[in-house]
Amino acid sequence: MGSTSATVAVTGLGGLAYGLLLFVVAAGLKLILGVMKVMNLAHGASYLAGTWLAYLFADGTLTGLALALAAGLAAATVGGAGLAALLRPLAGHTEQAVVTLGLGGIIAWLFSRISGGSSLTVPRPGLLDGHLSFAGHGYPIYHLAFIAVAALIAVAMHQVLHRSMAGIALRAAIDDPPIAATLGLSATRIRIAAITVGTALAVGAGVLGAPVLGPAPGVDATVLTLSLIVVILGGAGTNIRALLIAALVVGMVNYVGAVVAPGLASFSLFLVVIAVLVVRRQGLRTAVAA
Amino acid sequence: MNAQLLHVDGVSYGYGAAIVLHPVSLHIAAGSRHAVIGPNGAGKSTLLNVIAGNLIPPAGDIRLGQRPVTRLREGARARLGIGRTFQHPAVVEQLTAAENVTLAIRHRRMRRQKVRAALEQVGLGDYAGTPAGQLPYGQRRLLELAVVFAAQPQLLLLDEPSAGLDPSEITHVGTIIRQLPDTAAVIMVDHHLPLLFDLATTITVLAAGQHVFSGTADEVREHPVVQAVYLSPATPDTIPTNQADQQEPGGAATAGKPSRLRRTLTATADTAAVQEPAVLQVDSLHAAYHGATVLDDITLSVDAGNVQAILGRNGAGKSTLLNTIAGLHRPHRHTRIRVAGVELRPAQPADAGRHGIALVPQGRRLFASLTIREHLALATRHTRRQRQDARWSIDDVLDLLPALRDKLRRYPAQMSGGEQQMAAIARALLTGPRLLLLDEPTEGLAPQVVDQLTATITRIAGTGVAVLLAEQNQRAALATADRISVLDAARIAFSTTDINGPATHARLAGYLGVSTAGAAA
Amino acid sequence: MTTTTAATASDAAREDHTPASAPSGRRRLAWRVGRWPAATGVVLGAAALPALAGPYVVGLASSAVVLALLAMSTQLLAVAGLPSFGQTAFLGVGAYTAVVLAASGITDGPVQLAASAATSAVAAVVTAPFVLRTRGVSFLMVTVMIQGLGYAIAVHWTGVTGGSDGRHTPPVTLGNGHPLTSTPGVYWYAITVLAVAAAATAVLLRSRLALIWRGHAGHEPRMTALGYRPTVNLGAAYVAAAVLAGIGGALTVAINTFVSPADLSFDVAAAAFAAAALGAALFGIPTMTGAMAATVAIVVVRDYFGSNGTGPLYFALLCLTVPYLRPAATGLRTWYTRRRQA
Repeated sequence: MGSTSATVAVTGLGGLAYGLLLFVVAAGLKLILGVMKVMNLAHGASYLAGTWLAYLFADGTLTGLALALAAGLAAATVGGAGLAALLRPLAGHTEQAVVTLGLGGIIAWLFSRISGGSSLTVPRPGLLDGHLSFAGHGYPIYHLAFIAVAALIAVAMHQVLHRSMAGIALRAAIDDPPIAATLGLSATRIRIAAITVGTALAVGAGVLGAPVLGPAPGVDATVLTLSLIVVILGGAGTNIRALLIAALVVGMVNYVGAVVAPGLASFSLFLVVIAVLVVRRQGLRTAVAA
Repeated sequence: MNAQLLHVDGVSYGYGAAIVLHPVSLHIAAGSRHAVIGPNGAGKSTLLNVIAGNLIPPAGDIRLGQRPVTRLREGARARLGIGRTFQHPAVVEQLTAAENVTLAIRHRRMRRQKVRAALEQVGLGDYAGTPAGQLPYGQRRLLELAVVFAAQPQLLLLDEPSAGLDPSEITHVGTIIRQLPDTAAVIMVDHHLPLLFDLATTITVLAAGQHVFSGTADEVREHPVVQAVYLSPATPDTIPTNQADQQEPGGAATAGKPSRLRRTLTATADTAAVQEPAVLQVDSLHAAYHGATVLDDITLSVDAGNVQAILGRNGAGKSTLLNTIAGLHRPHRHTRIRVAGVELRPAQPADAGRHGIALVPQGRRLFASLTIREHLALATRHTRRQRQDARWSIDDVLDLLPALRDKLRRYPAQMSGGEQQMAAIARALLTGPRLLLLDEPTEGLAPQVVDQLTATITRIAGTGVAVLLAEQNQRAALATADRISVLDAARIAFSTTDINGPATHARLAGYLGVSTAGAAA
Repeated sequence: MTTTTAATASDAAREDHTPASAPSGRRRLAWRVGRWPAATGVVLGAAALPALAGPYVVGLASSAVVLALLAMSTQLLAVAGLPSFGQTAFLGVGAYTAVVLAASGITDGPVQLAASAATSAVAAVVTAPFVLRTRGVSFLMVTVMIQGLGYAIAVHWTGVTGGSDGRHTPPVTLGNGHPLTSTPGVYWYAITVLAVAAAATAVLLRSRLALIWRGHAGHEPRMTALGYRPTVNLGAAYVAAAVLAGIGGALTVAINTFVSPADLSFDVAAAAFAAAALGAALFGIPTMTGAMAATVAIVVVRDYFGSNGTGPLYFALLCLTVPYLRPAATGLRTWYTRRRQA
């Protein structure tokens, strides 16, 4: 039956979009983990803040989306610098994590206050609304556009990391912070940059991904868990490709699984995690070095 | 003769391309006292780690008694009766001294008495309730010994038991080791030769990862090859003429020629620099490491175009001195470090870098995920907006270090130790330094590479860069230095520009361990 | 209640004890003399709560007992140097074990507790080899993932868990088959279980095993060089912590006669993690006393004062202030001594 293959194709498109969304969030999380060695429990809340900004500015035009994105990046810059300052005097992983928990809690509380604890639907900009018909099946344009943008972000990240001076400096700072400092790279500046860019990736993903995975209570925890799984499966090192593959696997399993076999989705994710960790015996240990 | 306890047969070890331990064999009888000596990079610690099981050798065979243990990890070997200490005292700082010792005693019977006895054995009876983290460095080392003794191992591995201790503490450690029961065999690695000659009945000499000689303490003292590779400094008349025939005497074949050559070349630079403030001026530098005073009131200066070599035993504080100048280690207050007259803020490595200090750290520490080209690009980044003098282009550096030219696309792991060292120097030079700090650059390098390296250092100084060189390899140091300073017991014991004078050699011998006469006790 | 500090474990080794300095010795003496009356007061107050306060406060206190068990579970791992966010997953295992038992007619409280403890221990044994490959921030990362996966499974495994709607259970019964329905009765049952668990934990923390955990937390290479097996010893801590959380799960069912994924949500995990972390941040080392004090503070601030909806905000502010108290105090002290010297 033709409609089955159509469903598969449309669902696959959704899974792709979902995976790329997770990729962008996970890249930010990994950046903060790699440079600061901090488990940022507010990362999901950053995404939530992004979706909420998208909701606030959404007026059905691309301008609204652009405004939301600008506001999100500004908020990420302020928030990132603030978080870096807050984390500076604390030494232990636990204390640092609990402070990020507090920040995330404030964002989640503000959201629940304003939304009244219900899910919000973010309308797509008119230009990107509707479906693109291909071979007799309709594909949501927004998903296609989102996939294009996220793929662009992935390519840009790869280019920045491997072709630009900033990327070289970042990798040096992750490999050996003190020696990088003797080359004149300020450790403080790199930390602030990492946490700001990392947060900006989560907020930006929230703004653009709001029509895919919109503002709702609990979405912060979901996004945090899923992006964490991506980081763990992606393994050690600054390997964008491994992170991308992990994100696509998690996205597909979670999204397609939810459509095809709703009861099994979280199990299949669980099984994927276990399978990868068993196959890659050193998996977790290498993720440590991330 | 006692039964053989430990058999090490043809065991080797390497990191990537670099072989740090060539196949070596060792047989230790139960109850014996054995020392392993050799210059830095000789493979002593590697050998100890291989025996303890912290490193699993790719080749060779290790047996404890009759039992093969080659494939066992350190925990399993510990359960078979191997105990060890570490270079930095490994005690649990959050626990009290008594709790630390308690952990070593498996059986419940008489545990409390055994704890008290172990602490009293090392003289810590009064500190049973003190958290280990609050003990001074020397006492933490004693506590570690108490912990290891309390476990009653058949084989005891002591890694640098005298490092960081003052003379009276070293005497104390020597007494404690001497009082160990005859049932335990001991293998010691240390740089304090009087202590080892006093304690050990048999000694193995390693150099550059090679086994040189094994014998009794007296045999080692007299053996000419041993004298050549380790015990004597690089006076031309003591270099054996048949050097080329010997099996790679570690890092030991540099003649004094390039240094004189360079001195004539840079004589003008030296005289011109006299009017200027010294490139580096350090005043009353105090620093501690893990609570131990490592540097006490150090004052030194280095002029443009000059090479100053810092000599001293392992643990004498050479690395700490360089790291403190580079801003990686925080000195005590009142320390003043000035570069070309400008005072540096303490513990600000980026600040030091911007003021023209470049560090070639011990162990190279290249960035694992960067290619060599990326290393060079990163280092060049800042020079553009910096001083117009002393500027190196990538081409200049590649002319100086031609070995790197066709390795630019490689990652550090794909290069030999010598090439990595060249890359680390290139990275430092490209920041456009006024002052180059070199920390043990010859460590783990083959002799011919050491020659190349000393020539390179000489040429770098010839361009007007001041060089401060921390070096264990005396020959390499003496071949390049305009001034040598010896660190001993946290101070500069002496400093001279008379590099090759007989008086200097006599004093060097005294500080760096040729003299085997003085007993530790 | 629980006045055990991890720091006072293994007093045996400290018998011949010379105080490092007089003031700290005096302070410790005051603490030793003062803590028994204080503990007795806390226990008596807790037992008499139904007579002193209304059913709302008593209900709140019952739910606080579950959080206290989760916090103890988290703190037990912190003593072993392992920062965990995922103890709610074991709470879930325990809770759904009790649900399954209740659904098949086994409503006896102690039986449910024992079964929950057993299943969560098994779950811990199965996951330990993977989780214990990590330490520090990576362990934290992996346990956050475990929390999330546990929650997702609770939401989706509708056959057992009833999905987001949760499952109702009949009230638990005690030995004589008498169902436990009154609020004070449930409360007394809960604090009795908590007291037993706390006493067992106190004994455990004074044992040699706890000393070994602290050794691993402080210097793992030293412990390995002495022949200890990190995975085995830390695995024991992981299992013990899971048992505490599993008991908390069975108690959740006994207190609410209902369980849903919300009982093991991110917010619950956050509260438990924060209770342990804030307790450790206050005392400088992970102590059970600290975790209990922080649990009470969190419940009072979040659920009592914040019952109008501002609770999560108060909780967040607690997280954002308490970790700075000690650094600020140290900073002030050095500033003061510096000034006095100058």
